[in-house]
Amino acid sequence: MTEIKSKEYLRHLAHQCMFDCSDDELDEIQEEFMILEKQMELLNQVDTEGVEPMVYPFEMETTFLRMDEVVNVLSEEEALANAAKTKNGHILVPKVVR
Amino acid sequence: MIEKLRNDVAHAKENVQQAIDLAHKIQPKINAVVTFVDPSEQLAHLDEVKNGLMAGVPIALKDNVNTKGIRTTASSKILDNYVPVYNAHIVDLLKKQGAIYIAKASMDELAMGGSNLTAYTGPVANPWDTTRMSGGSSGGSAALVASGVVPFAIGSDTGDSVRKPAAFCGVVGVKPTYGRISRYGIIPYASSLDHVGYFTRNVKDACIGLEVLAGRDDRDMTSSNKEVPAFSSLLNASLKGKKIGIIKNVTDAIKNEATSKAFNELITKMKNEGAEIQEIEFDNALLRAILPTYYMIANCEATANHSNLDGIRFGEQEMGDSTEEVMINSRTKGFGLQVRKRFITGSYGLFVENQEKLFRKAQRVRRLIVEAMQKALQDVDCLIAPASSTIAPKIKGEKIDELMDEYLVAENFMVMGNFSGYPSMTLPMGFDQGCPLGVNITCKAFDEETMFNLGAGIENCTGLHDLVAEVE
Repeated sequence: MTEIKSKEYLRHLAHQCMFDCSDDELDEIQEEFMILEKQMELLNQVDTEGVEPMVYPFEMETTFLRMDEVVNVLSEEEALANAAKTKNGHILVPKVVR
Repeated sequence: MIEKLRNDVAHAKENVQQAIDLAHKIQPKINAVVTFVDPSEQLAHLDEVKNGLMAGVPIALKDNVNTKGIRTTASSKILDNYVPVYNAHIVDLLKKQGAIYIAKASMDELAMGGSNLTAYTGPVANPWDTTRMSGGSSGGSAALVASGVVPFAIGSDTGDSVRKPAAFCGVVGVKPTYGRISRYGIIPYASSLDHVGYFTRNVKDACIGLEVLAGRDDRDMTSSNKEVPAFSSLLNASLKGKKIGIIKNVTDAIKNEATSKAFNELITKMKNEGAEIQEIEFDNALLRAILPTYYMIANCEATANHSNLDGIRFGEQEMGDSTEEVMINSRTKGFGLQVRKRFITGSYGLFVENQEKLFRKAQRVRRLIVEAMQKALQDVDCLIAPASSTIAPKIKGEKIDELMDEYLVAENFMVMGNFSGYPSMTLPMGFDQGCPLGVNITCKAFDEETMFNLGAGIENCTGLHDLVAEVE
């Protein structure tokens, strides 16, 4: 039986992802969550007893240990190029200790 | 088309300008471009790569492909001011072969969608009928190829995001095997499902595309070491003796007569050309579980992948009194509602109490779906079905019932190609109300050679290749 998720619960999920939603948006999400949960019930129609989770399409080794050589380096200027605020080679954020 | 333009490399400047002019002309009608790229620097270096497989060929890139010095937004407000400091691996490969990128194409925000209605810059219209959607998430790329602007455009495919817009726009859409093309420098959606794909207007060009893009790249840990065949010179369109498996669950779920008619006509022609046709029926419970399996896996992975979009290191920043507040404000204002909905789904699936019953359960169902595909492909060369039950829906269309088989199975079965990583492509198969209908084929892992051969055979049966929509 699908239960209606409360707006508080949905807002909590949003906060876990570090964003907020308006009341109107939560109304819409609440409605769509009902459908989503019904779709999720379809997973239970499949017997997965003893089946291992599949994490990637091909379970073959494509990684290896490489030599510890410096490659694909970004300069300090490049690394900071997209930050909104920088100071003395660092990214600047609001004061933590006041 | 690619070969023709390549052979005309002496007039590359004019050909590129023609593409740019057309893109500008139709932009107010289809809205496919996020950023126009000035090609002068690329053209200035063309002489160094004049023998390349795409020398002087104008192309477009989906806007989730990092391009050094050129704004890359993934159609999201949060990345509106993001200018990459490096190129995606495929950009370097394309440049090495002489391709000239002229535009960064619109997409569903962060590739999360199948409509291209969620782009920060607004919906992309279908070149065949501008009241209809292009499909997504690679809708801008599909529309630019379909309207004749470029013969080749990059897309990405996490859950049919190349193959569905290809069907709606009447072009060829290729999602090769997982690992064939490096994803280094592509803004991700869900790493275990993400593929780089592309659009062309015929199968021969699709072969050339994979020759340019495929191959091992150490910077993508899932990149394959498999050798890349010379697909275009190996191309053989004969269907004689080819074993084709129709996915019966999909054809049974389709209610639209025009789609069934076009598909049945194609199958008859393939049979006449010597193909051996059989129907394959999957356990319908497995196919009905495709969409929830996809939602769970994709959105849980996306929630983790996009935690770096916080307005601190890059992207649009909103003010706040603390670092945490800056992040929350930036993400609240930076992401559209559809993206936030998907993150909420991901967050839900990753809650400790839900992890086993939803996320892990979805990963177990994924394995069963892939095993069923593997079994089916033991007896046939490819699986085939209409790529969508209808032509492209209207932009301002009615809501569909998301619990019906027509939606769950017929509109979502192509995600099986993302679960399995198997190569899959869509081609035009007919028209309804003046808009294209597509057919999809899926083959065994790393057997793109067979996929292209079958694609060429289908192209011969339909006679539908090099289609160009006149945008009105």
